[in-house]
Amino acid sequence: MINIPSTIRISFRALRVNKMRSALTMLGIIIGVGAVITMLAVGTGAKQKLGDQLASIGSNLIMIVPGSSAAGGVRMGAGTQSTLSISDADAIQKECPAVLYVAPVHSGSAQVVYGNQNWATSITGTTTNMLSVRDWPLTGGRPFSDEEVRSAAKVCLLGQIVVDNLFGGINPIGQIIRIKNVPFTVIGILDTKGQDPTGRDQDDTIYVPITTAQKKLFGTAFPGMVRIIMVKAKSTEDLAAAEKQINELLRQRHHIGQNEEEDFTVRNLTQFMQAAEQQARVMALLLGAIASVSLLVGGIGIMNIMLVSVTERTREIGIRMAIGAKTWDIRLQFIIEALILSMIGGVAGIIVGISGSEILSMLAGWSTVVSPFSILLAFGFSALVGIFFGFYPAYKASLLDPIDALRYE
Amino acid sequence: MALIETHEITKTYNLGDIALNALNNVSLNIEKGEFIAIMGPSGSGKSTFMNIIGCLDKPTGGRYLLEGVDVAHMNRDELASIRNKKIGFVFQGFNLLPRTSAIENVELPLLYDGLAAKERAERSAAALAKVGLAGRENHHPNQLSGGQQQRVAIARALVNNSPIILADEPTGNLDTKTSAEIMELFVRLNKESNITIIVVTHEKDIADFSRRLIFFRDGVVLSDESSGKI
Repeated sequence: MINIPSTIRISFRALRVNKMRSALTMLGIIIGVGAVITMLAVGTGAKQKLGDQLASIGSNLIMIVPGSSAAGGVRMGAGTQSTLSISDADAIQKECPAVLYVAPVHSGSAQVVYGNQNWATSITGTTTNMLSVRDWPLTGGRPFSDEEVRSAAKVCLLGQIVVDNLFGGINPIGQIIRIKNVPFTVIGILDTKGQDPTGRDQDDTIYVPITTAQKKLFGTAFPGMVRIIMVKAKSTEDLAAAEKQINELLRQRHHIGQNEEEDFTVRNLTQFMQAAEQQARVMALLLGAIASVSLLVGGIGIMNIMLVSVTERTREIGIRMAIGAKTWDIRLQFIIEALILSMIGGVAGIIVGISGSEILSMLAGWSTVVSPFSILLAFGFSALVGIFFGFYPAYKASLLDPIDALRYE
Repeated sequence: MALIETHEITKTYNLGDIALNALNNVSLNIEKGEFIAIMGPSGSGKSTFMNIIGCLDKPTGGRYLLEGVDVAHMNRDELASIRNKKIGFVFQGFNLLPRTSAIENVELPLLYDGLAAKERAERSAAALAKVGLAGRENHHPNQLSGGQQQRVAIARALVNNSPIILADEPTGNLDTKTSAEIMELFVRLNKESNITIIVVTHEKDIADFSRRLIFFRDGVVLSDESSGKI
């Protein structure tokens, strides 16, 4: 019959007798668990930040850019051809069932003036759909209407950076700004998005109707030309289907033969996400390796001390056996002792790990996220280490001969 | 049926090539309520005999019946259980757990018997009172004199109501006066509670407290006589 509460009390007493030794033994586990928690926090934080950035661009996005041009054997980069048009965008919206929204973009950069302030920023000519494609709400005002797009109205939506740099404290809605000397009425303000994964600030922009951008600001090589078409697929599962449909439709519209190369490129952000996930997996694997090595070392420390303890307490073991302790009474006593060592070490390690991640995010500015899962994992592992490395010393103790143990000096 | 019956038990130790016979065909009967002293020079086999009687060791040959049950072929845990319930040990060096209060030391056998905390505490306090240590429940061994420590050990041997107390040189570390007190305690327990007491000693004065003296030499019983005391 095994009495767990008493065994736990006995173990605590035994550990208290050698406070310094117990603390040093725990150190291995503390460092191991602390490392696990901190590293998982850094990993989760990095992954979450990347995920947020990817989400800020918009989910289920597909981008269509014109193909590269070549002149006299010199090939230019992607998007240098002028092959995409507003009618391509309209056709995609009408004929590709896997597509939710389409927004053509004609953009450039320009100097913007309001009163005595001026600011250089990117001007994105697009349609109202853009806000849906990018999941980008307004904080004030209204989006431009289809009528305003058709009539090339001189209205604009401002990103937060532009508002800050041009207006200071004034409410920009209804004010007139000049873009390339053309007056535009501010009708809405875009919500803050932050940086995209490449570090570009997405809030440093102005949206205008695409027709206005084509006719009044940047001009076009042919009527209706656009630089990019952005597409939102119906769902993540529909991404591949949408890409295929767009590809077939545009090949047909651009009269491209079976074996000819496309004059456009269709891309989505899943490759980007896969790369990020791959990176996170490699990181997790690396951290796992470090963590297991430190926990292994900590566990060996516990086993070492428990073996010393068994030898030191041979006589006590003999007394307990003479009085009626059975094999498992003795085993459990030492296993519980190892378990207490490793679990106290685990709890201390969790505290160290949490403070470590806080310090890292404060000093190094890394975003760290301590997940309940990582705490549970670390705690479970430290308990496992205690049982695993406590078993051999406990086994050894239980095999002692009571007569020899009683005679041990 | 005798409390303890040994039938021609032998114990042989294999020391490399030499086989050492510690016990040679020892046959003894011990009845309930006896007070026995076992004497003999070192190497006479008295300690081996005590270890076998105490179920700490197994005989190489022969039969040992404890309350009519053959214990010679029991496994470790079965023997541990027998020691827990049937036998109380008192050692020369007291063998109390250090840094553990008197009452907790006395509680140990009950702990391994699986008793609840309340009953353990009650029975342990009663056992300590019986050996004259009421009020010293929370003293640690290093706060007690040798005689008091041995009393704690006796309380520990009593607490599980074992029918047998085996005392191996119980007065070896004590002065004459304290030795007499301890032996008188044994006499009282033997009389009042009818506990069978077996004391190993090499002092004649101590052996004189007993009512039966068994003398070992070279692994055999040399003499076995009652002193005629009541």
